[in-house]
Amino acid sequence: MSIELPESAVPPPTGAGESSSTPTRRTFIATSTAVGGAVVAGGVIGGGSLLGPEEATAAEAPPSSRVSLTVNGTRRTVTVDNRTSLLDLLREHFGLTGSKKGCNAGACGACTVLVDGERSEMGVPPAGGWGRVNSCLTLAVRLEGAEVTTIEGLADGDRLHPLQKAFIDQDAFQCGYCTPGQIVSGVGCIEEGHTGSPEEIREWMSGNICRCGCYVKIVRAVQQTAGRK
Amino acid sequence: MSPQPQAAVGAPLSRVDGRLKVTGEARYAAEFDVDGVVHAVIVDASIGRGRITGVDTDAALAHPGVLRVIHHGNAPTLPYRDNPGSNNLPGRRLRVFQDDRVLFHGQPVAVVVATTLEAAQHGASLVKVGYDAERPTTDLAEGEPGRPANYARGDVEAGLRDADVRLDLTYRMARNHHNPMETHATIARWDGNRLTVWDKTQWVPGTQTELSTVFDVPPDSVRVINPFVGGAFGSGLRCWPHTVVAALAARETGRPVKLVLTRKQMYYGTGFRPAYEYRLRLGGDRNGRLVAADHGIDAETSSYETFTEAVMSPGQMLYSTPGVRQAYRTVPLDVNSPIWMRGPGAATGSYVIESAMDELAHELGIDPIELRRRNEPAQDPSDNAPFSTRRLLECYTVGAREFGWDRRKQSPRSTRDGDWLIGMGMAAGVYHTAVAPARTRARLNADGTAVIESATSDMGPGTYTSQTQVAADALGLAVRAVDFRLGDSRYPQTPPHGGSMTMASIGSATLDVCDQLRRQAIELAVGDEESPLHGVSPDDVVVRGGRLHVQGNPTRGETYQRLLTRNDRARLEAEASFSPPRGERRSISAYSAVFTEVAVDATLGLVRVRRMLAVYDAGRIISPKLADSQAIGGMVGGIGAALLEHTVTDHRDGRIANAGLADYLVPVNADVPDLRAIYLEGEDYEADPIGVKGLGEVVIVGVAPAIANAVFNATGRRIRELPITAEALL
Repeated sequence: MSIELPESAVPPPTGAGESSSTPTRRTFIATSTAVGGAVVAGGVIGGGSLLGPEEATAAEAPPSSRVSLTVNGTRRTVTVDNRTSLLDLLREHFGLTGSKKGCNAGACGACTVLVDGERSEMGVPPAGGWGRVNSCLTLAVRLEGAEVTTIEGLADGDRLHPLQKAFIDQDAFQCGYCTPGQIVSGVGCIEEGHTGSPEEIREWMSGNICRCGCYVKIVRAVQQTAGRK
Repeated sequence: MSPQPQAAVGAPLSRVDGRLKVTGEARYAAEFDVDGVVHAVIVDASIGRGRITGVDTDAALAHPGVLRVIHHGNAPTLPYRDNPGSNNLPGRRLRVFQDDRVLFHGQPVAVVVATTLEAAQHGASLVKVGYDAERPTTDLAEGEPGRPANYARGDVEAGLRDADVRLDLTYRMARNHHNPMETHATIARWDGNRLTVWDKTQWVPGTQTELSTVFDVPPDSVRVINPFVGGAFGSGLRCWPHTVVAALAARETGRPVKLVLTRKQMYYGTGFRPAYEYRLRLGGDRNGRLVAADHGIDAETSSYETFTEAVMSPGQMLYSTPGVRQAYRTVPLDVNSPIWMRGPGAATGSYVIESAMDELAHELGIDPIELRRRNEPAQDPSDNAPFSTRRLLECYTVGAREFGWDRRKQSPRSTRDGDWLIGMGMAAGVYHTAVAPARTRARLNADGTAVIESATSDMGPGTYTSQTQVAADALGLAVRAVDFRLGDSRYPQTPPHGGSMTMASIGSATLDVCDQLRRQAIELAVGDEESPLHGVSPDDVVVRGGRLHVQGNPTRGETYQRLLTRNDRARLEAEASFSPPRGERRSISAYSAVFTEVAVDATLGLVRVRRMLAVYDAGRIISPKLADSQAIGGMVGGIGAALLEHTVTDHRDGRIANAGLADYLVPVNADVPDLRAIYLEGEDYEADPIGVKGLGEVVIVGVAPAIANAVFNATGRRIRELPITAEALL
C-alpha cells in the first residue's frame, strides 16, 4: 500500500490519545500502535537497544491524522496512519476482528460493514439510510464523524440479531470466515428492500463470496429474516 | 457393554460453534491478540526463473516503522532437517532465503518487518531486488515429462483393435486454486528456544514437525494453535514457506511477528490443483460394454518437488473394463508446487471418464445411466477385492426418479426456452475411503460435563459439532454438556484434516475414548455398595442424559455427578489411540450420482446451471444438517471448476495474470440455483467403527462432468476443456 497525500493536506501528527467515553485496553493499544512508527523512531520505547545494525533508524513519522468515528455505538478518536484502511483500523487497532480480510481489494465482501448513508461517496446510500461498504477499500481517515456498524455490533447483548439466528438455523455457513460479511451485507440487503424473491436476494448478495458454497442457505436465511419484518 | 441409545448422532443439530461464527468472536490465525506483535510482509520474486543479483534495502529501512529486511544475503542458515512422514512432497522443499536461486515467479525473496502493517506493506514495495532472469517454462505443453507411473491389466491393444466402437479423446483441465476466504496467516513468537505459532493449517501436528525440523528444535518446543480455519480445501495440508518466514522473522527481530499472505500471494505460496492433459482411448462393444481403455495423463508439478494424486484410481475401478493401461506423467515446470485440492485426483479422473462415458452413450444411442449399469462391476476391477458397500446403482435410481431424468431428450439441442438451449446431464462420482491412526483424550467431570481433546481441525465441515455428537451419545450426555476441543498441538496427535478421513479416524478415536470413560463410570457404579447399580452386570447398564441406569429399567440408577461426587472423584480420564483395523481386503469408497440441468444462451454461449441434485452412498451420516451443507458446498465448488475457475499464467515470465478474486472467478450467489442433496440411508462398518465413508471429497467429484454432459445435451457441442467458457461455446 503506498497511498500518499500531498504535504499540505497532511495534518501534523498529534500523538494524542483518544477520547472514547469508556477507554479500554484495546483503545489504548490503538493509539499507541498508530503512532508506533514515530515512537520507535524517537527511540523512546519499543527497545531502542534491540535495534541491530540492520535495523532501521528512520527519523520521520508517517503522515497521520486524527479521526473521530462511532463504532457500534462507541465514539472513538484515534490518530491513525493515513494509509490505514477502515478494515485494518478495526482489526489491527480496535481488536474488532469480526470483519474479515479476504482479498483487500473489494472483490469478496468479507470485510463488509455498515456506514451511515450520509457520506454518499463511501458507498451507495440506500433509502434506509444504511450503506454496505467494503471496509478494505475505505481509508479510515475518510470516516470523520461516521457511524460504523460491524458484526460485533449487531447482537443486542446476548440476544442475536434475527439474521444471525437465521444463519445458525439454516446452517448458512461452514468455515465461518465470510459469515460476518455475509450477515452484515444481509442486514443491509434487507434494509434496502432487495429481498422480493430468491433471485433478487442472489443478485444483491453477490458481492459476498462464500467459498464453502453456502449460497442456497444464505438466501434462505435472508429470506427468513426479511419475512419477519 | 450395552449399545448406547443414539440421540445426537443422526439428529439435524445446528453447529455448536455457530454463535461464535455469527458474532465474529471465532478467532482465526491472524486474530490472536499477542502482546508486542509486529508485522511482516513478504517481497515476491518478479521473475519466473533465475538468480538474485542484489537486494537494495536502503529505502525500505529508511521508511518509518520498518525494523528489518531479511533476505538470502543476511538470513542465517537454517538446518532444514529431513521431515519424513510429513506432507512434504518428494524432492527438495523450498528453503526460504537460503540461496540466490529463483525457482518460480512469486517466490519469497525477502521479508520486511515493521511496527505497523502499513509500514511493512510500504516497506516491502521499497525493496529493490536485482535479477539475472532466465526464461521460465510454465506451459504444460512445453515441459519435459518425467518417468510415468504405470498401471496395466488385460490386453489393451487387442481390445481397442477389436472394439465395435473406438473413441480417442483428449481433455484439458485448467489449474485451479483453492482460494479459501481466509488467506493463510501465521503469528510466530519465540520464548527462548520455544516457538509458538498461530497458523492456518489443516494439520496442526504437521506444522509442528515441519517447524521443528526446519529450525532443528525438539517437536515438544513447538506449539501450534489454530482453533478455526477459514476454509482451506487442501491448501492447508502442508506447512508452507511463509510459516517458516514468519518464525524466522520473529527469531531475527526478537519480537512476535504476524504475517498474513495477500490474496495474490496465495496463488504463489499455498499450492493448487495442477493443470492436466488427459488422453483417453476407449473401446466398447455394440451393447455398450467397455472392452479397453488407454489413459495418457500429463500433469504439472514444480521443478523442485513431484506432486502426484490418485488421478488413476477412477479409471481402474469405476467400471468393468477388461483391458486398462495407464501412464501418469508429471511435468516439472518453473512453478510453485501443487497440493491436493478438494476431491484430489478423483475429481480430475472422473471428469474424463464420466465425460467419455457420455460420449460413448451418445455414439451408441444408449441412455447414459443404462450404459453405466451395463458396466457396473461386481467387485473392484483393479484388484478383485470385494466392495464393502457400493450402492451406485441405487444412487442412479433414486437420482433419476427425484430429478425427473425421464424428461431428458436423448438427442442433443432439442429443448429450448426462449433464447436458452436446455440440457440435462449426469455423472457418477467416487472417492476412496481413507482412515488413519488418531488419538484423543477425554475427561468426565464430577459436574456431569465432559471435555474431549484432539489436535484435529475444523476447516468448515463441522468437526466440533459432529465429534460432539459422537461423544454425547457414547457418554450418554446432552450435547451441551460436551466440550470438544481441537486445533492445538498440545492435544493428542491426529492425521491431516483432509482426504475425508476426519470423521472416520478421529470419530473412531472419540467413540473409543468415550466408551472407555463410560465403562469406567459403569464399573465404578456396579462395584460401589452405595450405588443403586451395585451388583448389576456392567453389560446391563446404559447412560442417558448423564444418568446411568439399568437397561430397560430407568428408575434404577444415578447420575454421573452423584456417582463421582460420592466417590470423591473430581474426574475420570481416558486416552484412546485408534488404528485402522486390518481385516479382510475390501474396496471401500463413497459414491455419488450427480444430475443437473443447464441453460445455454444460444447466441452468447453463456452457461447457467438451473438445478442440480446429487445422491450419495457415503455410509452413516453423523450430522445430517451439516452433511447437507457440505454436499451443497461441493456442488458449488464443482460449478466453479466446470464453468469459471482457471488460473491464467503469462508464460513469458511465469506471472499469474489473474491472481485475485476479481479475475479468478469463483461462483457467487447469483451463479447458484437451489441445489439438492440426498444421502442413502445406511452404514458401512467394514470401513471404520462408526460406519462412515467420508463426505468432503466425494461431494465435488462428478459435478463438473455432469455439467459438461448437460452442456452437450443442450447444445450438441462437446467442450473437452475445463472451464467451459462462453468463448469455447461460440
